[in-house]
Amino acid sequence: MKLAKTVWLGSALAAATIGLAAPAFAQDKEIVIGAQCDRTGPTQIVGTVLCPAYHDYMGLVNSRGGVEGYKIKVIEIDHEYKVPPAIEAHERFKKEGAVMTSAFGTPQLIALLKKFEEDKMPVTSPGIGSSAAADGKKYPYVFPIAATYWSQAGGAMKFVKDKLGGNLKGKKIAYIFFDNPAGRELIPLLEEIGKLEGFELRTFGVPSPGIEMAAQVLDITSRFKADFVVAHLFGRAPSVAIKEFKSKSYPLSKVIGLVWAGAEADIVAAGGFGIAEGYNTLQYAGVGSDFKVIKDIIAMHKAQGRTPGKEMESTVTYNRGVYQGAVHVAAIANAIKAKGGGKITGEDLRKGFESVTTLDPSLDGLAPPLKLSAEDHEGGGWVQVWSVKGGKFVKSSEWFQGYRDVVKKHVETENKK
Amino acid sequence: MLYREAGNYKTTYAKDMALFPLPLTRWVAAALLVLFVAIVPTVLHEYYLSIFNLIFIAVVGALGLNILVGYTGQISIGHAAFMSVGAYTAANLAVKLDLPFWITLPAGGLMAAFVGAIVGIPSLRIKGTYLAIATLASQLIIEWIINHTPAISGGASASIQVPRPVVFGHELKSQLDLYFFTLFFAILALIATVNIVRSRLGRAFIAIRDQDIAAEIIGINIFRYKLIAFAISSFFAGVCGVLYTYYFGIANYEAYQIVVSIDYLAMVIIGGLGSVFGSVLGAIFVTALPIVIRLLVEAFGGFIWDTAALSAVAASMRLVIFGALIIFFLVVEPEGLARLWRNIRNYFRTWPFSY
Amino acid sequence: MLEELQFLFSLVLSGLSIGMMYSLIALGFVLVYKATDAINFAQGEFVMLAGFLVATTLAANLPLWAAIVFGIGIMVAFSFVLERVVLRPLLGRPVVAVIMATIGLAAILRGLPPITIGAQTKTIPLPIGDEPVSILTATLPPIQVLGVIVSVVCLGGFTWFFAKSRMGVAMRAVADNQQVAMAMGINVERYFAIAWAMAGIVAALGGIIWGSMLGVDTQLALVGLKVFPVVILGGLDSILGAVVGGLIIGVVESVAAGYVDPLVGGGTKDFAPYVLMIVALMFKPYGLFGKRKIERI
Repeated sequence: MKLAKTVWLGSALAAATIGLAAPAFAQDKEIVIGAQCDRTGPTQIVGTVLCPAYHDYMGLVNSRGGVEGYKIKVIEIDHEYKVPPAIEAHERFKKEGAVMTSAFGTPQLIALLKKFEEDKMPVTSPGIGSSAAADGKKYPYVFPIAATYWSQAGGAMKFVKDKLGGNLKGKKIAYIFFDNPAGRELIPLLEEIGKLEGFELRTFGVPSPGIEMAAQVLDITSRFKADFVVAHLFGRAPSVAIKEFKSKSYPLSKVIGLVWAGAEADIVAAGGFGIAEGYNTLQYAGVGSDFKVIKDIIAMHKAQGRTPGKEMESTVTYNRGVYQGAVHVAAIANAIKAKGGGKITGEDLRKGFESVTTLDPSLDGLAPPLKLSAEDHEGGGWVQVWSVKGGKFVKSSEWFQGYRDVVKKHVETENKK
Repeated sequence: MLYREAGNYKTTYAKDMALFPLPLTRWVAAALLVLFVAIVPTVLHEYYLSIFNLIFIAVVGALGLNILVGYTGQISIGHAAFMSVGAYTAANLAVKLDLPFWITLPAGGLMAAFVGAIVGIPSLRIKGTYLAIATLASQLIIEWIINHTPAISGGASASIQVPRPVVFGHELKSQLDLYFFTLFFAILALIATVNIVRSRLGRAFIAIRDQDIAAEIIGINIFRYKLIAFAISSFFAGVCGVLYTYYFGIANYEAYQIVVSIDYLAMVIIGGLGSVFGSVLGAIFVTALPIVIRLLVEAFGGFIWDTAALSAVAASMRLVIFGALIIFFLVVEPEGLARLWRNIRNYFRTWPFSY
Repeated sequence: MLEELQFLFSLVLSGLSIGMMYSLIALGFVLVYKATDAINFAQGEFVMLAGFLVATTLAANLPLWAAIVFGIGIMVAFSFVLERVVLRPLLGRPVVAVIMATIGLAAILRGLPPITIGAQTKTIPLPIGDEPVSILTATLPPIQVLGVIVSVVCLGGFTWFFAKSRMGVAMRAVADNQQVAMAMGINVERYFAIAWAMAGIVAALGGIIWGSMLGVDTQLALVGLKVFPVVILGGLDSILGAVVGGLIIGVVESVAAGYVDPLVGGGTKDFAPYVLMIVALMFKPYGLFGKRKIERI
């Protein structure tokens, strides 16, 4: 019996070694991208939608014939939102010849920051990581490619200002945030905007896991009596917040959630679109399925004899995955054009990213008008507000930037430290 | 493995206490050393070295936790917090005072040991499961303090970049350089642990684990030794955190949250409580098994799922198989992999003439 | 001043109601520990599993009562199988082996839903409306009111069960001393199975209540983390302890968030209960109502 177990174990290990021994070399006309995913672990609600979306878009690009004659190959590794597996994933990507990484997860990105620079491998981090990374001079290989938290805060405050009649003087703004670095990062910026506009800011931290926040919401609604609430919450916390504001009869039209507090799943978990009526969400990619690229993806699935996955129903997160893919493809196209063919390296791709100004036209309306450059790896920090109205997300604004100069100044001072 | 102990008699106490009781074990140790120092780094691709690096760092942390949980019998679910204490101590010293790693590393360990000793104070009165949950509190409190003290965390993003370690003017940057760096400290930790557990200190720990009232009666100062156990264990954790910091090039407390504590607990329990070798096996199991499972699912999952579904399935399957294997090994041998290894070895020791 | 009092009242009330809901989860933990001395680190995942079962049945257009019956039934069956396959072989083994086994189980349970029924968030709509319920000057979400009622019924029911029913008395005997219980002709292993099954039932109810409040996906398992301070403060083997512990933790969390957070800049809610717990343990090392273990050599 003991022996049988040993043999069994031994064969499993042997099989594993064979699996390891078969190397996959990148071909000449192929671009390999390493995608770190979080389909398991605390943020899986995002990963299980975003990662398939990314694959879908890359599949679409390949089915159209690739980029400038190159095929794109995506290797995905799930890191369960843990750091050591992300390190392993990075080394594996390198071994498989990946020239760039699509990161997901702030701790994982931070742990690898140095590695990306040493290995000269560009990495994109839409919606995650430190806002200071928008500065391409300081972080040459990190590309947020979407509004960073600071830009989101600026955008949210501009929206609030418009909603409160264009003047914030003497108003009370509550900032309810997940009590981690990503949440705290926004406070100095909001304080500065507060000084500029003369509003009173009060912050309310919600510690992890944020499944209960009756006290904070009660404080906001009945003691502080906020005129507007900016909510920067993750995971399950956004839906709990929506539910609590509802139960305190606070109008949800006076709440704006930043990018991780505004997916369909958050609304569904809060009890449905009926409950969340009026709730505003900040987005860095368009919402809904009414875009050409989404129809193309559905057509591609049908042509290949597959039924489009359920994840397509979560359009907020799904569209972000598509948008991310489109920026990557644009950068790859730039890199190939600039080099005129041959083997594309991470360095080429970095320059490709730094000259991204137009995306795949089928993303019209879905993607912000971003312009990446050697200085600005964020692309302008464009955001859009979508609000819950009549059972669905309705666009409440076009693409806009908020307090751009304040944000820029903050990036500068932070990076001078 | 296949050797005979016959004919080796221990005639003195010194021999009984020897680190390598048999000449053969000495040879095995030497062979392993050659394997890891000379053969592994020259033969294997950088990718595999990165996995080794993660395992070596994990070995340091697991050994420390095993001293506390396995040898002293005090369950701790807050081990990762001490890693962050070590990490931030070293990072602050390295950045603000520009100190080299051979100062920051022990400093990180000592700071963690100090904090660990404070956390260990309730162990005087609280025992068993109650203590385990109390250590969970220390995890949350330490995290909160780091997160809310810019002087420690280095600002709102709570991460401090550290320069790469430099040895004799050579900057340790590649996985190969770091391989020797982490290997050195893993071996050091191994030797230290083996020596701690066979000394007076280790015996006191074991006495406390087995029956703390009896230990007190025979004159062991329980409180003192429990605190020492907490301090030593936290020292290892702190060093582990410093190693992570140099390995990543950055200190960030989000890399040391409760899941990490639970991972390390898994290492020592699956590996085998109260076994140095078990800590090593546990570190390998927890670090490498998910990778192996993923590779297997990638290699053979194609027969069941199409490629689009495969990446979705691979992630969840990894969790399921990993959990199932933990349960399987525990049901087969609740005392861990080290015991399983001993069973196999004992089987072969007399094989084929077992009667 | 009056406003401040109203604020405090609202804080305490919401703390009490959420505390009762913690007690419901803690109860499952206590039941298992009481009878079998096992620490179940997968309690949160139990709740999540039950939530998934009920939500999936509801999504198949079955009536609510059928979904609840189905959920409870499967949870009981699951607990029986679990006890037989995993926990019984670990009987008499070091307590950490059981802890680790339940951590492994938690990994399995978190991995299964995405493969089988999809990771998307599901809901458990209960026919109780969305309008907040007013209690004097404060308001509570209706789901919390329902949660409190279910908790009270459960806790009361189990207290009666252990105090009066034949089975409950036998279980107490098993918990007190397995060998003596065995000598008195009690089938100890059977009662272990029953204890796990009861934990399954409680987890099912918890899954319905919490699932309805938070939505059902793997994040629902996070409620498991919240019960540790509750059970430790109350005492691992006391149902009354679970209630009192839950209420204290609920109120402390609430008041800490309302009064301490503004002073220190946020986020004390998560560890304030733990600090209180440690302080309490320094005076009462087995929790407020836990049974003191007398150690002999």
